[in-house]
Amino acid sequence: MDTDSKQLRLSAVGIVAISLFLALFVRLWFLQGIDRQEFEAASVTNRLRVIHEEAPRGRILDRNGKVLVDNRTSIVVALDREPLRKLDAERREEIFVDLADTLVSFGVPAKVADVEAAYGDKRYAPQAYVPVAEDVTEDVEIYLAERVERFPGVVVERKAVRVYPYGKVAVHLLGYVGEINEDELVARGGTVPGAVSATSSTVEEQPEAVPVPEGKEYELGDSIGKSGVERAYEGDLRGVPGKRTIEVNAQGDLVDVVSLDPPEAGNDVWLSIEVDLQAHAERLLGAKIQSLRGQLVTDRVGNVARGVVRLNAPQGSVVIQEPSNGRILAMASYPDYDPTSVVNGIPQDLWEVLNDPNSGQPLVNWALQGTYAPGSTFKLFTAAAAQRTGLLPGGDEVVNDPGFYVAENCTGDTCEFQNAGRKALGAVSLAESMTVSSDVYYYRIADKFWNRRGELGETPVQDIAEEFGLGARTGIELPGENRGRLPTPQRRKEAYEARPDLFLTGDWRTGDNINTSIGQGDVLATPLQLANAYSTFANGGTRHQPQVAIRVTRAIDVRAAPGAPGNYRLVREIEPVQQGTVTMDPGHYATLWDGFVGVTQNVAGTAAAPWNATPTAWPMAGKTGTAQVNDKADTALFVGWGPAVRGAVPQYTISVVIPEAGFGGAVAAPLAFRILAPATRGELPPACTVEDRAACDAAADTALADSLNDAVGVND
Amino acid sequence: MLSAGPARGPVRGARFSARDLSAPWRHVDLGLLVVTLLIAAIGLVMVFSATRRLDGGTGVVLRQAFFVALGVVAMAAVSLVDHRRIVDWWPMIYAAGIVLLIGVLTPLGSTVNGTRGWYQFGPVVLQPAELGKLATIIAVAAFLGSVDEVDLRRLASALGLIGAPMLLTMLQPDLGSSLVFIVAGLGMLVVAGVKMRHLAVLVLLGVVAVFGILSSDTLDEYQKDRILSFANPDSVSEAAIYNVRQAQTAISSGGLTGFGFGQGPSTRLGYVPAQQTDFIFTVAGEEFGFLGAGTLVLLFGVMIWRIWRIAQLASDPVGMLLCVGVMSMLLFHVFENIGMNLGIMPITGIPLPLVSQGGSSVLASFVALGLVQSVHMHRFS
Repeated sequence: MDTDSKQLRLSAVGIVAISLFLALFVRLWFLQGIDRQEFEAASVTNRLRVIHEEAPRGRILDRNGKVLVDNRTSIVVALDREPLRKLDAERREEIFVDLADTLVSFGVPAKVADVEAAYGDKRYAPQAYVPVAEDVTEDVEIYLAERVERFPGVVVERKAVRVYPYGKVAVHLLGYVGEINEDELVARGGTVPGAVSATSSTVEEQPEAVPVPEGKEYELGDSIGKSGVERAYEGDLRGVPGKRTIEVNAQGDLVDVVSLDPPEAGNDVWLSIEVDLQAHAERLLGAKIQSLRGQLVTDRVGNVARGVVRLNAPQGSVVIQEPSNGRILAMASYPDYDPTSVVNGIPQDLWEVLNDPNSGQPLVNWALQGTYAPGSTFKLFTAAAAQRTGLLPGGDEVVNDPGFYVAENCTGDTCEFQNAGRKALGAVSLAESMTVSSDVYYYRIADKFWNRRGELGETPVQDIAEEFGLGARTGIELPGENRGRLPTPQRRKEAYEARPDLFLTGDWRTGDNINTSIGQGDVLATPLQLANAYSTFANGGTRHQPQVAIRVTRAIDVRAAPGAPGNYRLVREIEPVQQGTVTMDPGHYATLWDGFVGVTQNVAGTAAAPWNATPTAWPMAGKTGTAQVNDKADTALFVGWGPAVRGAVPQYTISVVIPEAGFGGAVAAPLAFRILAPATRGELPPACTVEDRAACDAAADTALADSLNDAVGVND
Repeated sequence: MLSAGPARGPVRGARFSARDLSAPWRHVDLGLLVVTLLIAAIGLVMVFSATRRLDGGTGVVLRQAFFVALGVVAMAAVSLVDHRRIVDWWPMIYAAGIVLLIGVLTPLGSTVNGTRGWYQFGPVVLQPAELGKLATIIAVAAFLGSVDEVDLRRLASALGLIGAPMLLTMLQPDLGSSLVFIVAGLGMLVVAGVKMRHLAVLVLLGVVAVFGILSSDTLDEYQKDRILSFANPDSVSEAAIYNVRQAQTAISSGGLTGFGFGQGPSTRLGYVPAQQTDFIFTVAGEEFGFLGAGTLVLLFGVMIWRIWRIAQLASDPVGMLLCVGVMSMLLFHVFENIGMNLGIMPITGIPLPLVSQGGSSVLASFVALGLVQSVHMHRFS
């Protein structure tokens, strides 16, 4: 081998070396010069963790600043999993068993499996504390704090949970708070760590996006309003969570706190509710329903009905509204539940009870979620339609009521329609027809409307009912509102075409018009819709959006009473919202007004006797209703307002609805007057707080006794 | 015993007389010397940054500094001896290397991370593979430098010389180091004049061997993982992927100028495993950016160029082959180590010469560079 050849081969090796170095340079430049940003982001997520600290929620006050929902401190035992991960499995198991045993010895129900589940819970970030037991006593806190060596990785935290100074008062309205679930989190732009739902949830199941105020973003484990005001005003009530940005090393140990933003409490929400009236209404409603249950059903002339059925009165609700602005003064729903029992989440067995129809579904706010046939309370719309269309010449007409009505040109199976108990009422004007509740008067109107549909349209009654807000959500802030139902020939046809198997016919007949005119048939309304409709009439035709909140504030000194004068700063006023107007001829209006006033003030009025037994400070107007429901006892209704005096501004509208309870004049009207009477005289008993249990119990007993002695009105 | 350092005494002054133009010290390759010392100095800074937050981190860097100092002395000493004189001892040196490699497989050796590759005598730790590489380069250079033509019989002998220590290293198992034997040997064979058809067959055999090893049980799962993670990132363990990704993240986030000394987040917080040894290049990349890391690569390039140039100027085939062997060894170390840091080479645990923490590696590198300097310094004698 000669030297030249060796040199040639050496040069070849040199070329290889140069190529290799070029490769290194090119790759280095790609990493550091071109792909840098991508990797830099990875570096930041590597080492920085943001620990989220939830802020206390704002409080909920009544219209006078009394605190309805407050916060208290709950002591929570949680796992800090970082130190636990460094232990071997055996030692860790020992600690879990020891912890569970210790908690049990303090009366906290805890199982080793629960502790293990908390340790393995992938939904929490690795640095986040995972709760094991909530609301433990201070004894537990002290015991664990003194034995840090024995329980490595076990921490005791204090967090704010809801407390209810008035107990169950306004529970449906206030709603409850719970841990955010994965759907709610995703809807609010959050991500679920270690989500199992990523594969299981399809595109259709994607919850609708909900906007979240800046800085109030959610994380798993956060609290969120699940119902009522807590949910409706979530954006105000939720505080701004604190953020602790920490730097961790490869082992996950904290190296440095990079930044620290303390949590900021949420805003306080003032409701239009007056707590004394709310508590009073709830107490009387509950007592009335309890007194009804088990009573025998009577027919319309007072005899025990054939087939003897007893009243169930499974539920009931009362809505009291300010007619001039739509604000809700009280909203009671029965049955209720104790919100204190759900502050740490709802256990499965309790959840089942709260949703069980046999227990009356205590979670449901029947005032806006329940729908009922409105019965005679619907006559307001039929009468107004007859006036406006000119069906009643001059807006009034005297008609002879023999107790029954035979439809003209009748072709259906049923052509004769009766008053309650086929009672003959003689010659009645429109006003009198309201006062004494003549059905025949309205049968005649409905029949004529149907016969003249070519000229007056198919739905003159429904159109006016719609103007008063029926058949559509009122728009109250509270979630879950039902829209009710306003049947029309068109809707009947559509429903039939969609499901021909469910209906006998898709045709609208005279009988349907007649049933609709007295709030029977397919008509359904919520107690809130009825209250809002009568408020609209009472104030002269302005329909407002019902509202439960009046303002949002921030406390200046968080420790002092949030409603104390001078201790809060206004965030915003919640102004009344007008949603529409119903125009009525003043003469026609006066006719109807007189008819409604007669219900309580005329001797023959269907609610005269109960009003006289418990009179309000001024005359009231209104309408009783007794709606028939297939296979069940009648629904008792009363909707009215007061003062019903010319020149005075109406202050209260009240709607009382109790299903399977009997007659409106016997059940609903007396309850309405007994609720409002002390309010109108300034004699409302103060709502009792949980500290004052004895007073509450005594008041409840009195209410029950009173309920059994109600003066009974005319059976309608 | 040889001593080093500037000669100031009257006796030595007389020996390295100013008029003696062939005196070895006059022919030191200054370029190589400077880059060697620069790289070693940079290495110390890197090791300091990578370990200062660890328990006993200061001890690690002091220990490394001691080995660098020892290495400089050893390099000087070796360079002053005529490489031909050293090569004359090749059978002894080679035998010693083999004995050490066998011995480490016995209970005398200790195991770290599944590799039985270290002697541990109290505080002194010796990695025989590092010395074995040098011994093999000397032996192969001595053998091939003494023949005119590499025929099949001689090729077989040379392969035997390379193969024995390589197989012993593989038994530890230390895949990276055994690859060094192959690459260094291959470089020397090519320059020594192995016939092209023989070379082609050898390469073919090599490819077959690699697949054979990967599909057999010779390697532990984690070693296969590391290699396969490069070829097919989806099929391997999370730990191997983690290592590669963390290294690239650290280097890339350094950008053009880096975070500055001691400021690199991944380095500071220990996100890159083995960041003071096999993955020390990430420290340079993250803290000194493209400018710093590029400079380090450039310094290694200059080092390889200087060795190549010394090989070219060598006055004897043995000296030339010694240089080629050392050059191939260092080139492979540098390319494989930095390449795996950058994600273009599979992970095999071999150190970055003069930079990675580890006494044996540092010493062996200095001695190898001393041999190269010796070839240069004694080319006229």
